Amino acid sequence: MTGDNAFAELMHEYVGECLPLAEQAADGFLEVERRWNAGQQADDLAPRLKGVVHTVKGNSAMMGLSAAAEVAHATEDLFAALLADPSQREPAALDLLLDGANLLIELVRSATSGKGDAARVTAWVQGVRAQLAGQAPAAMTAPGASSRSSGPEAAVDTVRVDFRRLDALQEIVGEAIIAQSRLRDIQRRMVSHLGFTEESAELDASINAVEKTTQKLEDAVMATRLVSLSGVFGRFARLVRDAAQSSGKQVRLETSGGDTRLDKAIVDRLGEPLVHLITNAVVHGVEREEVRLGRGKTAEAVIRLAAAPVSDGVILTVSDDGGGLDADRIAERARALGLEVNSTAPDAIYPLIFVPGLSTVEAVSSLAGRGVGLDVVASSLHAMGGSITVESAPGRGTRFILRVPVTLAVVRTLLFEVSDERYAIPLAHVVETLRVEDGDIHEINHRGVVLWRGELLPVVDGAALVGAGAIAGEAARKYTVVVHAGTRRRGVLVDRLIGHRSVVAKGLDPALGHTRLVSGTTIMGDGRVTCILDAQRLVDPLPGHTATVLT
Amino acid sequence: MPRKRTDQPSAPVATRASLLEFADAVAVTDAPEPVTPSAPPLHLVTFVLDREEFGIPIGRVREVLRVGDITRVPEAPPHIRGVTSVRGRILPVVELRTRLGLPVLGEPGMRARIIVVEAHGRVLGLLVDAVNQVVNVPADAVLAPPGEVLSAQTDYVTGIGRLDTRLIILLDLDRALLLAAAA
Repeated sequence: MTGDNAFAELMHEYVGECLPLAEQAADGFLEVERRWNAGQQADDLAPRLKGVVHTVKGNSAMMGLSAAAEVAHATEDLFAALLADPSQREPAALDLLLDGANLLIELVRSATSGKGDAARVTAWVQGVRAQLAGQAPAAMTAPGASSRSSGPEAAVDTVRVDFRRLDALQEIVGEAIIAQSRLRDIQRRMVSHLGFTEESAELDASINAVEKTTQKLEDAVMATRLVSLSGVFGRFARLVRDAAQSSGKQVRLETSGGDTRLDKAIVDRLGEPLVHLITNAVVHGVEREEVRLGRGKTAEAVIRLAAAPVSDGVILTVSDDGGGLDADRIAERARALGLEVNSTAPDAIYPLIFVPGLSTVEAVSSLAGRGVGLDVVASSLHAMGGSITVESAPGRGTRFILRVPVTLAVVRTLLFEVSDERYAIPLAHVVETLRVEDGDIHEINHRGVVLWRGELLPVVDGAALVGAGAIAGEAARKYTVVVHAGTRRRGVLVDRLIGHRSVVAKGLDPALGHTRLVSGTTIMGDGRVTCILDAQRLVDPLPGHTATVLT
Repeated sequence: MPRKRTDQPSAPVATRASLLEFADAVAVTDAPEPVTPSAPPLHLVTFVLDREEFGIPIGRVREVLRVGDITRVPEAPPHIRGVTSVRGRILPVVELRTRLGLPVLGEPGMRARIIVVEAHGRVLGLLVDAVNQVVNVPADAVLAPPGEVLSAQTDYVTGIGRLDTRLIILLDLDRALLLAAAA
């Protein structure tokens, strides 16, 4: 290992250790602020917070990161001064304290890139010095002594591992699963050609044993990848505070289920959609104080963020006790976009807020809120194999319900064949499969439809969708796969259903271009590659067809 | 990527007759201009597409595979034949015929192979009609690409190697696969 590599490794460890600490400090100061504002004591939090900031200071100085060390030092001083003298606890000083912790997070995060905002650091440090200069200098000398003794919690029996290694490990497990399903395939063919023999029975038993071991290995690797949601949840307290402050509202965030565990790859991808939903809830969802009081509600609005495990994943909810969605405005907006709105039932209209274009337009930001880019939130959830729905009660609030899988790697799919090509669709997006009899498919406005559960379901030929073979075969297709995604449903006509398979999904090579129809690939037991189709794209309006929103 | 994608297939590299004609023309003029006079010989893996022989530096070739099942990927660019699996990994396969403006065959023949190469930091498979052999071409037997018989789009031909009576078209892999990478 060269010196450069060793340093890079050290730097990596530094970020790994100090980032969580800096985040703890930010969360801790937020709680301190809340208690002080409520006229409560926060002294019990002080030793640990001091210790955390002190550790970051020491480690930063050791790595030669003087800006981070300086910010940590000034944060220590400021915190000590505020602890010592309650009269100092004015909003500006508390803002400085929170800014310090957030600045520290940014500096630690950007340590490897070497990019730090020097001007901001200087300005902030000057701000702190000015704040401290306004009080007795004695308080400034007090802190350091006591903070050293109270370091972060004692080391537990854990090691820190670069997440990329877990990714690599999972990749290898995926390859083992593929190789093993190939073995199983060969064994079955052997039996069908040669009949049962003693050897084939032994082979069968050995493959069984390998399959069990691989399953355990997969579960074990999966378990190492699970992280709790608390890290993501922790970020939102500050977000809600700032958004509430800037929109002149009183909002409290309540979280529950932060200890729910999910694959880190999913947790990482949940942050952005949640920021979106929570910001929207503060800015547009809940009402101003005077409106709330007029409606007989408490002055302080409550936004709840909850997570709970279910059988096939995790359900997250973001709910507010605000004014609710305005169904009439949404329907009006949808019609203006050229969508057919078939129903007047509010529950049928609310999901329209996820339609692209409906919520991105400036003019709708007053549309009981729910503005900017809910379609983006919906599509990022679909991209990870999840879904989002909304419930609302006028005057009482709105709730977004997010369903996400526990892991991205293994996807349960339905395999089918159309025009001699094999494809997979994630089972989460399959409502059911129907056998198509002659005369079941009707044509309305040149669009095929079938009668399904008392409604007209648009159908499309699978071969035409994937651009394979002649569309003339449509009449001969035997099955309809009813696919749903977002607010739409559509039947896809296929030749043959192969069955359910759990597959190891692999990403698409960039050389394959922007194939929106295909979300990934997988290698089947026979060694052939199968494309996994994107459900969202399957239900998208086809060129030359008007969009229909089924609700 | 600097080049814009065009939907039109590029013109064929050159016909054998035109290349022979060019070689003869060069031969009768005084001493053909060697591309790099005192350079070491080129180690090339040569392969066949249509009736032409092409060469790429052996250093760029990771392995040569028999053609297994190639799965078509809907909506992929036209020069992508599909994907295939190699020991549990997924390899995109480039239809080199499309890229070089040659007619595309239906099913690959018995001698067809996939040459696994690295280009633009990615591993890609090139579908070719057949792989011939590894040859050494002396550097002074490499002629500059004959501009007048090649179309303007064939900037991926770096030269023509002469080996006895054989003419080997030297491909610049990075340029030839630029479209594949840009997509």
